[in-house]
Amino acid sequence: MNFDFTEDQQEIRATARDLLASRSTWERVRGHAEAGAQDEALYTELGGLGWPGIAVAEEHGGQGLGMVEFVILLEALGEACAAVPLRGTALAALFVEHAGSPGQQAQWLPGLASGELRGALGTWADGVGELVPDAVGADIVVLLDTDGGASLVPAADASIEPVASIDPTRRYARVSVAEGGGVELLTSDTSEALRRAEVGVAAGLVGVSQRALDMTVAFVKERKQFGVPIGSFQAVGHKAAQMLFDTEGARSATLFGAWAADADTDQLPLGAAMAKAAASAGGRTTTAAAIQLHGGIGFTWEADLHWLYKRAQLDAVFLGGPATHRARISALSAERVVAATR
Amino acid sequence: MDLTFDATEAQFRDELRDWLSTNGPGPEPEGEDEQYAWRRDWQRKLHDGGWAGVHWPVEYGGRGATMVESAIFYEELARSGHPLPANVLGLLLGGPTLMVWGTPEQKDRYLNPILSAEEIWCQGFSEPEAGSDFAAVKTRAVEQADGSFLVTGQKVWTSGAQYSKWCMLVARTDFDAAKHKGLTYFLMDMDQPEVQVRPLKQITGEAEFNELFIEDARIPAENVIGGVGNGWKVALTTLMNERAGLAFGLQVRLRVMLDELTEIAASSGQIEDPRVADTLGELHLRCEILRLTAYRGLTATMKYGQPGPEGSLTKWMWSETNQMLTQFAADVVGPEALTMGTKWSYELLRARGNTIEGGTTEILKNIVAERVLGLPKAR
Ligand SMILES: Cc1cc2nc3c(=O)[nH]c(=O)nc-3n(C[C@H](O)[C@H](O)[C@H](O)COP(=O)(O)OP(=O)(O)OC[C@H]3O[C@@H](n4cnc5c(N)ncnc54)[C@H](O)[C@@H]3O)c2cc1C
Repeated sequence: MNFDFTEDQQEIRATARDLLASRSTWERVRGHAEAGAQDEALYTELGGLGWPGIAVAEEHGGQGLGMVEFVILLEALGEACAAVPLRGTALAALFVEHAGSPGQQAQWLPGLASGELRGALGTWADGVGELVPDAVGADIVVLLDTDGGASLVPAADASIEPVASIDPTRRYARVSVAEGGGVELLTSDTSEALRRAEVGVAAGLVGVSQRALDMTVAFVKERKQFGVPIGSFQAVGHKAAQMLFDTEGARSATLFGAWAADADTDQLPLGAAMAKAAASAGGRTTTAAAIQLHGGIGFTWEADLHWLYKRAQLDAVFLGGPATHRARISALSAERVVAATR
Repeated sequence: MDLTFDATEAQFRDELRDWLSTNGPGPEPEGEDEQYAWRRDWQRKLHDGGWAGVHWPVEYGGRGATMVESAIFYEELARSGHPLPANVLGLLLGGPTLMVWGTPEQKDRYLNPILSAEEIWCQGFSEPEAGSDFAAVKTRAVEQADGSFLVTGQKVWTSGAQYSKWCMLVARTDFDAAKHKGLTYFLMDMDQPEVQVRPLKQITGEAEFNELFIEDARIPAENVIGGVGNGWKVALTTLMNERAGLAFGLQVRLRVMLDELTEIAASSGQIEDPRVADTLGELHLRCEILRLTAYRGLTATMKYGQPGPEGSLTKWMWSETNQMLTQFAADVVGPEALTMGTKWSYELLRARGNTIEGGTTEILKNIVAERVLGLPKAR
């Protein structure tokens, strides 16, 4: 029993956070978000470092590390609110790797792992995927049916219309198959890939929560009212304590999901549902509390908290919101209990 | 990261499971005193089997288990459905405090009878006017010419005092010193007429806790622990142990109750109601997060000597989740959950104490805000 990162993992985490702290400052995030653009220079740099392929097998051009390393990077990207389409690429790679044919793997994985190709993951119904993150500029889009099937749509075959979501730190699009375009089905079971993707999205939300907490703690120590720092008011301190509670709880669940993906896939369905349920709910509450504890400034465009709030809103519903995942936890737990009593 | 038990830990667990399946306290009797005696016998059995002081070092008669094994012990004990040993305060608080602060003579004299349940310990910290602000205790201990102390004052909410031989008593010895500085930690003999124990009936109808009326009780000099005027520091050792120990067993108790509720909800069809399913999902989520967070804290303690930020969250998580769970039982179980004498009604009522005992949730939040987040001291 050892619920902590290895030294290598600590190192990856520290390096990733340091890099993003200098490359993805609020100034840069704001600049790109306001321009409706992504940070191409940063994306290229991270591609060069192998981030998109961190969990892709070496034979496919990735780094061959695990989901724990994967969530370390995605958490760091969430924490920095980085305006890069890296998550889409990494999530698409998960599906190609875990549910694609050898041909599909050979065709797409090396490019996705190096970041030279871009991917996106979304859901669709009746042939249309609404609000597909990272789809603008993607080379392939993986689209999930409600029944668990997944299709691979190369950009050349797709119609990708940009849509302005409330979160401009990512680019969203409405995706459908263009006239005469083709769709390839991913032939294997997609559930393992989807579970991993849920854990990855949860990790980004944990990062967002952590950032909201850190900004809030720094602010309430400085800001004075009634002659004292507002952090000395219990109503403020207790709300901040609740933010930590929600962030750490979601982190525990997300690390469990990542560990299960690497070491005990029987527990992955539960771990992924837990991660996504906790991180989605936590992302919403922590970013909302951050705005509240900043007062009027928190409601302004300049304060930058709104980027976190908006990202949390989109990520919280992506691949199922908290209620969806609580329902899954409930069903899985009932299954386990009923099986044990039989 | 490895969230499984290694071979040694698994072997420890299997051996313990084995032992617990063939050894038990037998059926629980009626009546509070009878139940206490039953738990005392149970502790003797645990002691004979070498399972009483699992986390205690071997030199003090314990098993010298690792922290993970100790966690496993509480998990497995809870899973077996057997109760906690009677002298839980002595095992978890008193013994470890003595190990840190006691003289060799004190350790020699007191530790073994704690393990064997021969001498029960209670914790006399809280007073009518000193609860959360526990450093405000007023009980007076005045040093006599022969070096002994005469103690006068009142303690309250003293769990298990009626069965105890020894009381971990914090009293004021210096009346001019600053609040935290004038305190001394004593071991007070409860077997003297100068100490009157009056049961306090609580919300459940039973009287786990008591009031202590102390009038000129005598405590010999050798029963000071950690030195005169050092009581605050010694008490902190006790309080830290209070927060660390039980999380693993409590987490399993939650899991066992929750699985029972899940079974009821599934077999009665209530789980088809999305509101029921949603709450069940949330409870399972919290329960698992509690387990995982407790293990994160444990790993941090083993690696760095203290838990990380998550360590101060587990008692708060557990007490809230237990209240949510027992409240939910009133919906799912139906009338039985609100009928006196049933397990569910007992749990519902007892759970209210969880966010008060061992530091209220508000105080825990203050601690998180100040010590973990580094916010200025609350006003
Ligand atoms: C079942 C049970 C068993 C117990 N067993 C023992 C025992 O064996 N030995 C022992 O010594 N004690 C025992 N206690 C006492 C327990 O430690 C105290 O009840 C607890 O510390 C709170 O103190 P209080 O009751 O005086 O409440 P108070 O401190 O008066 O608190 C009342 C309310 O005010 C809030 N409050 C107080 N101060 C602050 C603050 N600074 N900021 C925000 N809110 C605040 C509290 O959170 C609470 O909601 C037991 C209590 C219970 C319920």
